Amino acid sequence: MSDKNIFRTKFDVATIVLIPACIGINYIGKLFAAALKLPLWLDSIGTCIGACLGGPVIGGICGAANNLIYGLTTGDSITLIYALTSLFIGFFVGIMARCGFMKSFGKAILTSLVAAAAAIVVSTPLNIIFWGGQTGNVWGDAVFAAAQAASLPLWLSSLADEIIVDVPDKIITLILVYIILKALPDKLTTLYEEGDRIERLD
Amino acid sequence: MKSISLYRDNGTWLCRVHPFTKLMYIASAILVPLLIGSLWAYAVFIALDVIILLSGKSLKRARGLVIFSLTIILTIFIIRGLFDEDNITPLFSIGPAVFYVEGLMKALHTGCVIINMLLSFSILVLTSKPEDIADEMERHGFSPRFSYVISSVFSIIPQMMSTMSTITDAQKSRGMETEGSLSKRMKAFIPLITPVVTSSLINTRERAIALEVRGFSSAKKRTFLNPWKKHRGDAAMTIIMLITVIATAIWRLATWLL
Repeated sequence: MSDKNIFRTKFDVATIVLIPACIGINYIGKLFAAALKLPLWLDSIGTCIGACLGGPVIGGICGAANNLIYGLTTGDSITLIYALTSLFIGFFVGIMARCGFMKSFGKAILTSLVAAAAAIVVSTPLNIIFWGGQTGNVWGDAVFAAAQAASLPLWLSSLADEIIVDVPDKIITLILVYIILKALPDKLTTLYEEGDRIERLD
Repeated sequence: MKSISLYRDNGTWLCRVHPFTKLMYIASAILVPLLIGSLWAYAVFIALDVIILLSGKSLKRARGLVIFSLTIILTIFIIRGLFDEDNITPLFSIGPAVFYVEGLMKALHTGCVIINMLLSFSILVLTSKPEDIADEMERHGFSPRFSYVISSVFSIIPQMMSTMSTITDAQKSRGMETEGSLSKRMKAFIPLITPVVTSSLINTRERAIALEVRGFSSAKKRTFLNPWKKHRGDAAMTIIMLITVIATAIWRLATWLL
């Protein structure tokens, strides 16, 4: 794999089929997190898998399409706003994966911090604009309320709120993605290899 | 299998209105109050949302969507009312907690934005079929790959949900605990999600082959199985809403400039 073409994307059938599967995985992750009453979202597992397999562009598409589809069809229109967040999570995880940062467990943790940073930077302004700074997560909002009570500026309280929620969420998400990617058979992952070359016999 | 879409065809006029008209309504319901910027504009649009939903016999189902967000709106009221940085005028107090007018007004504004958005989106969500939206987008020049992604999500998720319940049962029968302390529930997450995700990813390979065999990558123009039945007044409604949005934008610009 050469480092020059980390943005190169295949738009063949295999990649197009990957997108809805990843969106479904996001949904299932969120469903399991809710079923087990976990205080995390875990709704970007699919986006990260899409990013690791298909690259940054597919990751971004998975993320944005995920929020747009759920926002427009399941009535959860609040998620529409966060399409931007998902897009950047997918995009940056894709870049990290293409640079080889999903190859070992330690590197996967590093990728998760990049994903969390992307999520925090994009979400915080959105939270401030649309929600007055809150995230809707119990733990995060408790921190937000405490920070506001200590009369810290709004952006700082909101940032703290996001960090408390997003960092653990993304670390667990990418650990899961790492485990899942290791478990996938080669005949599947080779479909998405961007460095492949077809040998022609004619 | 249960669909995740909230669409039900209840035979009212609202179900026959073109999805793009509803999208235009959403755009104007969000933009017009935003441009005017005062609470009465939100009140007008929330009332309009309710009237439309009521005449489309979907208000009851929309209520469920709004109730879901009431808890977060309540916390916004509490946090803003108590701690907002602009708080000066006390309104009332419950024990040691003093609520201020400025914070509560801000919270009211945020609450109105959220409720207006939820209601206007629910008009589209409750009365338009996702597959129809995808079809209409394809007909208006979007890539067929795009509409495949949308309609495929709706067939994949019920399938994954049934795999999910199978795997939950299988793991439970092997003695996995899904209740108890947080660390216990955390540990249960991995053996539950990994098999579902892996199997659905492995399935994509076969799906890709099946699609390829059926000419998915063909560049030929597609034909449609279900033609869209035109509803009278779609064009008129869209134009009226477009004019309203442009008029408010001009008014806003005028008040800024003059």
